[in-house]
Amino acid sequence: MVGKRQARVGRFDVAAALAARALPGAMTPLIEQARLDAKMILERASGRAPSPLIGEQAEPAPLREVDLLSILPRAFVEKLRSAERDVRMLTGRLILGKNPSPLIERSRPAAGAVVSLPRKTPAMTRPLKVTDVIRETDDAVSIYLTEADGSALEFRPGQFLSVDVIIDGERCRRAYSLASACMAGTPRHITVKRIANGRVSNHLNDTIRVGDELAVLGPSGNFTVEPRPVNERHLVMIAGGSGITPIMSILETILRLEDRSRVTLIYGNRSWKDVIFRDRLAALRDEVGDRLIVDHVLEHAPEDWSGGRGLLTRDVLEGRLDALGIQDDGLQRYFLCGPTPMMQAAHEALQARGVAANRVAEERFTRPEEREGAKGSSEAELVMISRCGHEHGIQVEPGQTILEAALAAGIDMPFSCAMGGCGACRVRLTSGDVRMEEPNCLSRAELEQRYVLTCVGRPHAQSSILVEGA
Amino acid sequence: MLSDKVLDNLPQEVRRRVEPYVEAVQLMTQTSNAKVLRSMAPSGIRGLILQRGKQGVPTKMPSHHRVYFDWTYPNDHPDMRELYTRAKEQQWNGDDLPWHIDVDPENTEKPIMPRQFMAFDDLRDRGIRLTDLEERRLNSSVASWMLSQFLHGEQGALFAAAQVTEAVQFFDGKLYGSTQVVDEGRHVEVFHRYLDTKLNKLYQINDNLFVIIDALIQDSRWDVKFLGMQIMVEGLALGAFGTLYQMTKEPLLKELLRMVIQDEARHVHYGVLALRDHFRHELSDSERREREDWAFEVALLMRNRFLSFEVYEEWFEHKLTRKEWAEFVTNSPGFAVFRQVMFKRLVPNLREIGLLSDRIKPHYDRAGLMKYFDGQSARELSGDQMIAELDAA
Repeated sequence: MVGKRQARVGRFDVAAALAARALPGAMTPLIEQARLDAKMILERASGRAPSPLIGEQAEPAPLREVDLLSILPRAFVEKLRSAERDVRMLTGRLILGKNPSPLIERSRPAAGAVVSLPRKTPAMTRPLKVTDVIRETDDAVSIYLTEADGSALEFRPGQFLSVDVIIDGERCRRAYSLASACMAGTPRHITVKRIANGRVSNHLNDTIRVGDELAVLGPSGNFTVEPRPVNERHLVMIAGGSGITPIMSILETILRLEDRSRVTLIYGNRSWKDVIFRDRLAALRDEVGDRLIVDHVLEHAPEDWSGGRGLLTRDVLEGRLDALGIQDDGLQRYFLCGPTPMMQAAHEALQARGVAANRVAEERFTRPEEREGAKGSSEAELVMISRCGHEHGIQVEPGQTILEAALAAGIDMPFSCAMGGCGACRVRLTSGDVRMEEPNCLSRAELEQRYVLTCVGRPHAQSSILVEGA
Repeated sequence: MLSDKVLDNLPQEVRRRVEPYVEAVQLMTQTSNAKVLRSMAPSGIRGLILQRGKQGVPTKMPSHHRVYFDWTYPNDHPDMRELYTRAKEQQWNGDDLPWHIDVDPENTEKPIMPRQFMAFDDLRDRGIRLTDLEERRLNSSVASWMLSQFLHGEQGALFAAAQVTEAVQFFDGKLYGSTQVVDEGRHVEVFHRYLDTKLNKLYQINDNLFVIIDALIQDSRWDVKFLGMQIMVEGLALGAFGTLYQMTKEPLLKELLRMVIQDEARHVHYGVLALRDHFRHELSDSERREREDWAFEVALLMRNRFLSFEVYEEWFEHKLTRKEWAEFVTNSPGFAVFRQVMFKRLVPNLREIGLLSDRIKPHYDRAGLMKYFDGQSARELSGDQMIAELDAA
């Protein structure tokens, strides 16, 4: 709330303040009243009637706060003050032996103070070079990438890149898994399958060329394994369609780096010609023998097809797990990636076989268009960010995410995929209201502990967040 | 020197109190030119004695220059016009620097300044033992101090550039000057943002730097403003930025300095263009001598500015005398490199504008600066060239 207007200090005020300082304290109320009376008489005499409305009158300065120099000419007072400061500086150093602080003390911004106005969001992506483009099927293309300086991309098997593509002037961001084995000397690639009406997947399938640059963030994601040559394990993997990409990276890395580990893959597709990495899987099978079992399941199978048929529903999956003789030994780890109904069916089938949820890893990708609750407030909102013991106030414009506004204000914020898929930008909401695009990678437990993702989070009210571990 | 002997015999506490004033008097009496003394002394008193820059209130400086209008808009200086074109093409946005980079001033893997910047052994010999952590913190304090001084210098440059734009008589120079005002604003922005959001530590303006800014802002003569700002402050800053650019392993600061250096190279070039003919052909001998002595006095102030007494006051005020600290800084390898590179950039420019006559050379020689006499002046050296030279070093 704005404070009440204070009246200009005049001669009466100064005279009254002088009298109040010179005379005993008991006299102060009398002097105060005399000041007000004198002012009133003077104003009336000069034709200025007091305002008839309550609250519109300027408040007289309290007597003890009246500056005795205020009736002198301003320029003179400024000189006097400057001289006073000079004398203080000299006596401080010479007599008191006290130097002025070498540091500039600045108050930290109080809550509510905006210290950083929104600017253009800095580029979060970096360009990768497209070194090769290989068509895997009629509807899928593998794009081979290196860093801009030609070096290999660092990643862990199963991780994904967030790819930014500008289509008709609009930035579209999508996640694509790296499908290569995570080994030195192996070229890195993502594989993009056309989706009906998918803007980015169609754009990339139609236009990407060797020599192009692709703007990316990451690699990101926790759908991954750590290969160790001493391991001897059995991974059971269920993939549907383009869900094979992170699975391919994991299985090939494991089979090549862990000599005693084996993989069983149940892999569903619409038809034989739609099977991405069909030949690569066959070649790998030839190379590693029984350590890899690939069970293709086709929705539209040819008549002479001897493998599984149909969509990967719970019944079909249970049938395939039985046919493959997979008995859960309480240690196996399961990896799922594919369309949402397939994932649901796989969870149910595994749960029915007594597989604990913590042994099942899954990767879900959703298109931003399918997300909800992403709009945020229609007005700019203030967000206070606590980081490393400091508080920064930023203004988040309508439509902007907290991450975008914070980066634009020059604040170091953790982030990786910038599309709600990896959790790297997780912060704790200490007050206010932040809404996120759904679904995202936060668990129910994290939501209950008031964690939010800044990359898909937009404030709905003035809010405060804490960047932990920074 | 007599005053040194007197100081040495004073009790420690008394010495601590009067030493800054003795230094100030010594500095201001280095010049034998009465006109220089007359023009610099008030600034010296305001900066060194009254410490106006540290009084905790905004400083108001009167300005006495004449604003030069030309209603015919002549194309009067093709070199400046070209510089204006180049400046427009090379504008950049401070927001585009990689601000997302996390800066830890005490990180030993990407230090802002190398660990061996200061001679810690020298401190140990003086009885001050710092732990590993304290050494890193002192290094980080010096980095914040240096960048704070760059920031204060840039604020001075911002206002001086505006004044110079008003006062210069070349119309092409005025157009160019407008880009320099923008450049300086951007430099204030990026240095402040770096200090505020990355280092979280801001030092007061150094008294010597205050004197220089005060002197040139209040001087009514346009060419003295040019000399002070474009040649001395910008020229020395160019050297200082270049040295830090070479030394730092912190990627955000490196990029920031790379961009700033390219602007600064233009600024110094402008000063050389504006002053060369004026000093050589239009000034009387006595006027030129005065400029020469003024520039030398400013060079000494700049040298003293790098003695970083603010860091001394924060860390060692009751452990060392100012003189001991000044010796320590002077002997520290990092500061020595700074001094060398700064003057390497400055001296050739003074030569180019004709302010290094045989009369003044012995003074620079005594200050150990003559060895840079044959370097390239700003006229011969573009920002890109300078970055390439620094990268190759």
